[in-house]
Amino acid sequence: MTASVIRKQVRLPVSVAFGVVMQGIRIRLGRSIVTLMGVMLGIAFLMSILTGQTVRQGVGRETAARIELGRMMSFLTAEIGPVSERTLGVVAVGPLNDPERRLVARLRELGAAGLQWSGAVPAEYPAGWIKPVAAGEVGVGTAAVLVMGEGRVPGLDWGTVMTNAAEKVVATTRKALAVPAAGGMAVTSLEREWQPDEVEARELGARRLAFRTIWIIVISLLVTVIGIANAMLMSVTERFREIGTMKCLGALSAFIRQVFFIEASLLGVTGSVVGCLVGYGFAVLAYSLTYGFDLVGAALSMPQMAMHMLLCTVAGVVLSVVAAIYPAGVASRMMPADALRSTV
Amino acid sequence: MRVNKAQFEAMFPPGTEGGRRTIIRAVDVKKVYRMGAIETQALRGVTVDIYEGEYLSIMGPSGSGKSTLFNMIGGLAKPTAGKVYIDQVDIAQLDHNELAWLRCRKIGYVFQTYNLIRVMTCLENVMLPMSFAGLDSEEAREKAMYILKLVGLAHRPLHKPGELSGGQQQRCALARALANSPDIVLADEPTANLDQHTGEEMIELFATLRDELGVTIISATHDLKMLKRSDRILWIEDGQIVRAAHPKDVDFSSGDFH
Ligand SMILES: Nc1ncnc2c1ncn2[C@@H]1O[C@H](COP(=O)(O)OP(=O)(O)OP(=O)(O)O)[C@@H](O)[C@H]1O
Ligand SMILES: [Mg+2]
Repeated sequence: MTASVIRKQVRLPVSVAFGVVMQGIRIRLGRSIVTLMGVMLGIAFLMSILTGQTVRQGVGRETAARIELGRMMSFLTAEIGPVSERTLGVVAVGPLNDPERRLVARLRELGAAGLQWSGAVPAEYPAGWIKPVAAGEVGVGTAAVLVMGEGRVPGLDWGTVMTNAAEKVVATTRKALAVPAAGGMAVTSLEREWQPDEVEARELGARRLAFRTIWIIVISLLVTVIGIANAMLMSVTERFREIGTMKCLGALSAFIRQVFFIEASLLGVTGSVVGCLVGYGFAVLAYSLTYGFDLVGAALSMPQMAMHMLLCTVAGVVLSVVAAIYPAGVASRMMPADALRSTV
Repeated sequence: MRVNKAQFEAMFPPGTEGGRRTIIRAVDVKKVYRMGAIETQALRGVTVDIYEGEYLSIMGPSGSGKSTLFNMIGGLAKPTAGKVYIDQVDIAQLDHNELAWLRCRKIGYVFQTYNLIRVMTCLENVMLPMSFAGLDSEEAREKAMYILKLVGLAHRPLHKPGELSGGQQQRCALARALANSPDIVLADEPTANLDQHTGEEMIELFATLRDELGVTIISATHDLKMLKRSDRILWIEDGQIVRAAHPKDVDFSSGDFH
């Protein structure tokens, strides 16, 4: 044997680390599943809280909108009787807002014969049910005329509408357009008149809700952080001995970090995605049992769900990686003999 | 800065014993373990030259510092004071890449507590250092099976350490130590759990490694047969080397050798 020099340990390709990870997950399937469950539960919790907030806010909005619609409809039916088989006139002086769209949909649901329509025609109704007419002709032979939207239509004047509508009801859906008395006839607004103290109460309620939302999200984030960190820390610390042994056998610190990084990412991604779905499904189901599927369905929004899922997944992966990599990095930097004994 | 060979030899003249080359040199190595306010002096200044191709046995009562010394000369822990040279290189000056190479290729360790990886099979444990050395898995499997045959464990490659007897685990640990054909084998009580016959086989295996491949064997042991077979025996007591002798100068029958 000749005098040998000390050389540098080879850096192994990432595929070797990946192989070690897959083997590790396979061998420790039970343990991996427990860790995965930790991540999954944390993220499911966070996701269900976020979804719950969306649902509650949405349900609040939806309920208010339904009450508003009910109020508009009861005004109309009080004036003209049941709307089924009747034709109404609509002057759309601008784009429709949500209550207006709901009103049109409700009229169709209740079996109104059709709408005479002046202005931009909504596309979602069958041809024939909405009959476009010139602005000056709205109101001929209709039970009532509704002015929707906010703005001005050239060539429309209240006089013509009043004349066309004859003795019939003319109403606007925006209070800004209401005319106190035009040609001896008041044009009333269907939009609710909020009293100052009501507005104040509503704003206070909104502020309270916003505060509570932030509070709940902060708390649930903390719970998630602790849950995931705990699961990942456990799975790393119980392998300190193994890390020490690997170092004794010539593993580079970088290799050990790589192994834990890959493993934490895999567990983080899988756990987060499953957790998102579970949390979402659970929240939707639980709220549906309280509020009904119909209301919850109306309250949910796809883009918001997608954003929450993205947020939760990113949070889950980042948390898992940080919680696993940090202690693994510390252990891998220790002298092997210390890592063998360490229990940090 | 690394000490080169000329500087080294100026500082420490080469060992005289048969003009052999020093492979490991410990100079006044001290190790203090601190646990809160309690300090344990595990090594109180150990100076020793270990020669290439030597079969060295280390004896000493429990707690005398044998395992600690192994950790120091094996590059697994930093001494509190003193220097350790392997192949004339001060290992305190090696970077982590070089230390990893040393632990992987140059030295094979048999730990007192085996330190087998519980979740891996016997075969995978033996293959692990080979994969750190960059061997592809087919090659590694073949070589690992060959080594397992050498230590008489070829019939149990797929058992996990927990499913093996103490002696079988010890042999698995020995097989793992030999995985990358090390120049030095550091074995902490390698025959403690082996029966008479298997123990003798291991001793023969060590002797063969030394004779055929020039491997340096350093082992902590109380096994008479092993002591008698070795080239030199060191006695360590309370963290210090108190005696060194060739086995033929030791009266094993009197019991004074303890
Ligand atoms: N990591 C540690 N932390 C604190 N004290 C330690 C540590 N390792 C060893 N010691 C102490 O150092 C001394 C020497 O221990 P060592 O393990 O080297 O003894 P040993 O000769 O190998 O004993 P045995 O024959 O029982 O294996 C003991 O007093 C022990 O308590
Ligand atoms: Mg010991």
